Amino acid sequence: MRSSRALRDVAIAAIALIVVLAIPLLHRSPAFEDFIIRLSAMALFATSLNLLVGNTGMVSFGHGMFYGLGAYAFALTMQMTELSLPVAAALAILITTAAAFCVGAICVRLGTDYFAFITLAMQMLFYSIIISWQTLTGGDQGLRGGIPRREIFGFELASQLHLYQFCAIVAVLGLLALRHVSASPFGQTLRMIRDNENRASFLGIVLWRARLGAFTIAGAFAGLGGVLAALFVSGAYPELADWPNSGQAIFAVMLGGINSFLGPVLGAMILLALNDVVTRFTEYQGLVLGIVILAFALGLRRGVLDFLKFAFPGRSR
Amino acid sequence: MSGAITRRTVLAGGTASLLAAPWVARADANTLRIGMQSILSGPIALLGTSSRNALMMEQDRINAAGGFLGRPIEFIFRDSKGQPQEAARVARELVNSSGCELLVNAEASSGAFAIQEVMRDLGSVVCIHTNSETSSLTADPKLRAATAFRVARQGVHDAVAGSTYLADYAKAKKLNKWATCSPDYAYGRDTTAQYLQFLKQFNPDIEVVSDAWPKLGQPDFTEVITKLLQAKPQALLTLLYAGDLSAFVNQGNIYALFSQMTVAAPNVDYPVMAAIKNLPAGIHSATRYLETFPDTPANKEWGQAYLKRWNERPTTWSWQNTVAMQFYEAAIKKANTLEAKALSAALTGLKINSAFGADGTITMRDDHTTINYAIGWGQTTPKEPFLVDIRPVDWGKIVEIEMEWKKQLKYI
Amino acid sequence: MDLGALGACFTTPACVVTQATSGLIVGMLLFLVAGGLALIFGVLKIVNFAHGTFYMLGGYVTYTVLNATDSYTLAVLSGVLAMALFGVLFERVLISRVYGSNVLMQLLICYAVVLIFDDLVKIVWGPEFHAMGMPAAFQVPPLFIAGGVVPPFYAVLIGIAALIAIVLGLGLATTRFGKTVRAAAINPQMVSALGVNTTLLFAIVFAIGGGLAGLAGALAAPVRSLSPGMGFSILIESFIVTVIGGMGSIAGALVSALLIGMVRGFGTIGFPKFTDGLIYIVMIAILLLRPQGLFGRRS
Repeated sequence: MRSSRALRDVAIAAIALIVVLAIPLLHRSPAFEDFIIRLSAMALFATSLNLLVGNTGMVSFGHGMFYGLGAYAFALTMQMTELSLPVAAALAILITTAAAFCVGAICVRLGTDYFAFITLAMQMLFYSIIISWQTLTGGDQGLRGGIPRREIFGFELASQLHLYQFCAIVAVLGLLALRHVSASPFGQTLRMIRDNENRASFLGIVLWRARLGAFTIAGAFAGLGGVLAALFVSGAYPELADWPNSGQAIFAVMLGGINSFLGPVLGAMILLALNDVVTRFTEYQGLVLGIVILAFALGLRRGVLDFLKFAFPGRSR
Repeated sequence: MSGAITRRTVLAGGTASLLAAPWVARADANTLRIGMQSILSGPIALLGTSSRNALMMEQDRINAAGGFLGRPIEFIFRDSKGQPQEAARVARELVNSSGCELLVNAEASSGAFAIQEVMRDLGSVVCIHTNSETSSLTADPKLRAATAFRVARQGVHDAVAGSTYLADYAKAKKLNKWATCSPDYAYGRDTTAQYLQFLKQFNPDIEVVSDAWPKLGQPDFTEVITKLLQAKPQALLTLLYAGDLSAFVNQGNIYALFSQMTVAAPNVDYPVMAAIKNLPAGIHSATRYLETFPDTPANKEWGQAYLKRWNERPTTWSWQNTVAMQFYEAAIKKANTLEAKALSAALTGLKINSAFGADGTITMRDDHTTINYAIGWGQTTPKEPFLVDIRPVDWGKIVEIEMEWKKQLKYI
Repeated sequence: MDLGALGACFTTPACVVTQATSGLIVGMLLFLVAGGLALIFGVLKIVNFAHGTFYMLGGYVTYTVLNATDSYTLAVLSGVLAMALFGVLFERVLISRVYGSNVLMQLLICYAVVLIFDDLVKIVWGPEFHAMGMPAAFQVPPLFIAGGVVPPFYAVLIGIAALIAIVLGLGLATTRFGKTVRAAAINPQMVSALGVNTTLLFAIVFAIGGGLAGLAGALAAPVRSLSPGMGFSILIESFIVTVIGGMGSIAGALVSALLIGMVRGFGTIGFPKFTDGLIYIVMIAILLLRPQGLFGRRS
């Protein structure tokens, strides 16, 4: 039963990857390719957040901290050392994971309401450190000068096509890994904690350990998203670690569906596509985006994928 | 069950084609599209809107004169909201999908650096940065890009100009105790440091008794104002601008700050002067844009035309974008092509006539940045022309000191 | 970091008094601005993320009415009433639909409102900043009270803020209305079954909360700049005040606002480039030691 689901997940991932990689062979559209590159980063970011929000019931307002840390750690390592790209990326994710572990160890002790506020405070502190430590991070101007040595396993990441392919592969593999975590017994434990933490506790589950594990894993994958974001802008900017960015991830999760694994991906798609489309036609993007969000929130009352599952109940997942 | 799948599929297909629409590029061969991106919303929206206003005027003027290479020009405006990753995306979209053959980047500094990387990667179009005053964009050879140029005032130029004027004034009035109050971000910190470095170089008697660093957009300056007042400086240098400067002036007024010290605020733009109802007289400021400086008919005519068309006065960003178009006009005529390498070669070292030049000309140097634009310093008055007793700067001196400063930072 | 200057300040009575006074002013202004958020959160357990929008609109309405009528009193009244009305509409049309849903849905709706009204303000009043200027009555020199400098305008504002603190705090704790509202937030069905119109109750609370935010915007307008998106920084600082003070406590909000005011007042001397970082550290410390905030109740 479990292995057939795992097999099905891998099959879906493979098909999605093949489709995405095939598109540029048929028609080159730079805007679409930029869209997929940014979607890769944001999909990992939002889905990792949902490991906390949807699966464990831990609302984190500060998740952008790890996205930004991943971006900065990667970009700084590339600029300041001679390490190759895969090593620098691995190092960045390692640093982000360690940071998530430390921050999580401090924060998960708190009850769910206050958890949101303290994660927000942590992120704002991190952001003000980035802005203040101008000599290291460039302050509000970010890391300038670009990321050098953008090659990995034959991909020349300065080329848009190669970056597109690389990001698509990394995103699909990353999402598959997150899916594996979510579907595993550990993931089920998390959902049990979300639904009734007392019952979980009576069953012998150590709550804080599970929560810390979820927080750390979520932070790690957010860091991976940050690495992709850094590659897109060829640098790192404080906006990646600012709390409105955390908000974007939350909105992606809510728009797409908090109870569906691919919900955050869909939500990220909607937000990015709206942004790209609306900016071409009007400068009043906020107005349009706000109205669309209201329509979704008031009309559907839940994320799109959740709504579809609700409206067309069929196969149980 | 199958009906549901069909409905879902149709919904998905329809949505996909709707979303795919913007990614299929539109073409209109003869019009020359020029991409312009800036901050058109938020507290410093004035930066973008006044740039756009100026560019619209240039579009009309240039098209009336036949356009570029016989083709009419058309601007495509985009708002990046001041977000660097959005700025990068927009720059790529303008070039790759919207068919822009030239770029005018009117972003503030962080957006400019992001776009510099895009220019470095693309290398296929020329981009002129306006509005970004951070020197390292062009001064640092590691950050310079082959097809990117800057038409803007530069922090270090303003710092030398301002410090020269203020050092003299301080010497005359024996103002030795200074305080600073600048926004706490790269522009504020770096430019204030430059001002202080040159001030002390020109007038070694000057000492800084207090410094305050409010955050950009900070609504309440109270604790900063009282800190400054306590140190009892004789003069205050503040690099606050736009809405922040307005709030600071209003809050400073109720503490009678302006009667207790001489204030030097280089960034007093026209709209700030017009918006602040109780603007104290005697604030020392630079001419960001002033209709009466340079005191030429061409300058006055342009300022009046802008006022008439947009019902507000131009800003420093307005003239910078105008000059950017003047450079494009001259360079395209010289190179007779839009091809990036040739056009870049034409721009490098180019000298043009401009109403905004200190002596009627502005030059684009080899390091891709402009010099010889008009800078003057004077004192504010509540009525027209708002800034009087204007003294022009010595560009020879500015360039000389800029050279030393660049050597100091190992840019050359 | 300038610990030397901080030490010097602490040992100089004049400095201590001056910065403490400005800390008081900053704190009371913070409380004035955060009051509406604290009320709605305290009573209805709803985080009104659109709080900044109420503040912004209150300021703009005041600015417009002042320009039209030259009466600051009338302008402030207009701002308050307009925002009270807006609060009712906001609650009835939008928030009431998601009372039962995930709190993140409420957040999403508030965010949409913020986006929409930031652009609407841009369309109606233009994207550039506006300055209202000080009404003539307050264009007077500052007062010197106990060695500290206090501009008369701020003295009035502090008085109003203190009045609001007392009225709200006592009102919620002692009056029948206050107790009913608090009960309705905990168990609306029971209160409704007892014959109280909970719909009207919630609408009234939003009217008061919105009106307070509008009042803050109206009173701050003479000294601050009006621009679309100005609500953003206000939201964050109000949020910090409310969280540190403890959800549901007006007294807590007052104390935490004053605490933050003092941190800023002296932080600007000791840590001029890291003052807000300091505030976040304080927030984290308090949340770790006392997660429910200074005066909050453990739920």
